[in-house]
Amino acid sequence: MEKVCVLGAGSTPYGKLGESLVEMIVGASAGAIEDAGIEPREIGAAYISNVFGIADKQVHLGPVIMSRLGIPERPSLSIESACGSGSVSFREAYANVAAGFYDAVLVTGAEKVTHTGTAWTTTYFAYCSDFFYEGSAGASFPGLFASMARAYMSEYGATEEDFARVAVKNHDNGMLNPKAHLRKKITVDDVLSSAVVASPLKLYDCCPFSDGASSAIVCSERFAKEHGGKYVEVIGSGRGGSPAALQDRKHMTTIDSTRIASEAAYKMAGISPSDVDFAEVHDCFTIAEVVNGEDLGFFEKGKGVEAAREGKTARGGEIPLNPSGGLKSKGHPIGATGVGQVAEAYEQLTGAAGERAVKGAEVGLTHNFGATGASCAVHIFRGA
Amino acid sequence: MATREDFSRAAESGKVLAARCPKCSALHLAMTRFCPACGSRGLVAEEVEGRGTVATYTIITVAPEGFEGHTPYAWVVMAIDGTPLRVSGFMAGVASPADLPVGTRVRVAGHDERGVLIERS
Repeated sequence: MEKVCVLGAGSTPYGKLGESLVEMIVGASAGAIEDAGIEPREIGAAYISNVFGIADKQVHLGPVIMSRLGIPERPSLSIESACGSGSVSFREAYANVAAGFYDAVLVTGAEKVTHTGTAWTTTYFAYCSDFFYEGSAGASFPGLFASMARAYMSEYGATEEDFARVAVKNHDNGMLNPKAHLRKKITVDDVLSSAVVASPLKLYDCCPFSDGASSAIVCSERFAKEHGGKYVEVIGSGRGGSPAALQDRKHMTTIDSTRIASEAAYKMAGISPSDVDFAEVHDCFTIAEVVNGEDLGFFEKGKGVEAAREGKTARGGEIPLNPSGGLKSKGHPIGATGVGQVAEAYEQLTGAAGERAVKGAEVGLTHNFGATGASCAVHIFRGA
Repeated sequence: MATREDFSRAAESGKVLAARCPKCSALHLAMTRFCPACGSRGLVAEEVEGRGTVATYTIITVAPEGFEGHTPYAWVVMAIDGTPLRVSGFMAGVASPADLPVGTRVRVAGHDERGVLIERS
């Protein structure tokens, strides 16, 4: 297998954006191409992750993007894996470069939904669940994670205030990210007094619906060295799955896909969780970050809330989680998120993260899943 | 293999349609094609009494399409008595967590456009 690197990255801001879906993808892709210092013609293939292209009247995105980038003859693949689309797409890019099919590929994720309104998004996002059992019986996504949160509270004695701390920490981080959707400092009281969406989760426990696109250039080590730009090496890549419906999981507060994907990634990288300097994790809801910290092996089961309470996951803590602000503050354009995490890892490990830099970080991990964690991909990066 | 309609019909009469593995005897929900425990095929349909306890739940205040008129309502995951199975569904008339502690006795009470209906027993 070829050693695989990320040679450049680009992102639009995340938030309510005026551009079309296609314009966002072209913008982020062009940013990554320029950041990598390559020509579009050097791209062998593209992987485009997106879930609701239908909301902006464009599916079959790949060829449209390749045409706009001036390389219509290059192959492309559009990938949907709910909120985990970006990381799954990155994995396909990684695998194809590792296998030697291409020297360099483009991976771009994007979503545009804010123009549709909360009713549309709540309804359509629910199609990502095991719809017969969940969405069609009235479960929204906040509702599914709220059920996980209540199970966690009941099992480990955690409180709503414990979850609120995760939101406060991620908003603190997002304040330092110029591309974040919600750049607003909040307090535990703000979270606790925000409107209930699906008990016990309140508005500030939930990430926003965002528009945005993120992109990365994935290439062989040889290609990266020839081009001379800053690059990071992908040292671990893992994927996993969980039962689609919450009811079928052995343990409703453990996401097996995260455990399986991260164990594979740690094994490939030859490292253990304690070797990771920071992680971008899938905090679509505050409970998710707590569970992820445990399933990724940073904390024992049931200790995730304690870690948040003690500041272990803050930017200067033992294992900073979501220095970018995470989905909670940076925003969650669902098809883009997994690629956006890679862009953050690239910036952190190449000295481009500015004020939000995790000091001395050499190894970063990205974790992104689809739906309630039914699909997942984990990647580990090392600064070159 | 059972269809969604078979599952819904069983719920209408208060049952959960399950499937038992002929080889390892593990019990799953009905629409599973191969046994997740041992990989066997030929799972045999088996109706289970829809009685049990609340494993977890949420009370929805921001509802998806079709449920706007029902808020607040609960979406409940119930553990089925005497089996490793859980089944989720819709429960009307729950406004506060105090109304529905985890462990409350519940039953499958039907199936309609709101999915599996769960009620206190």
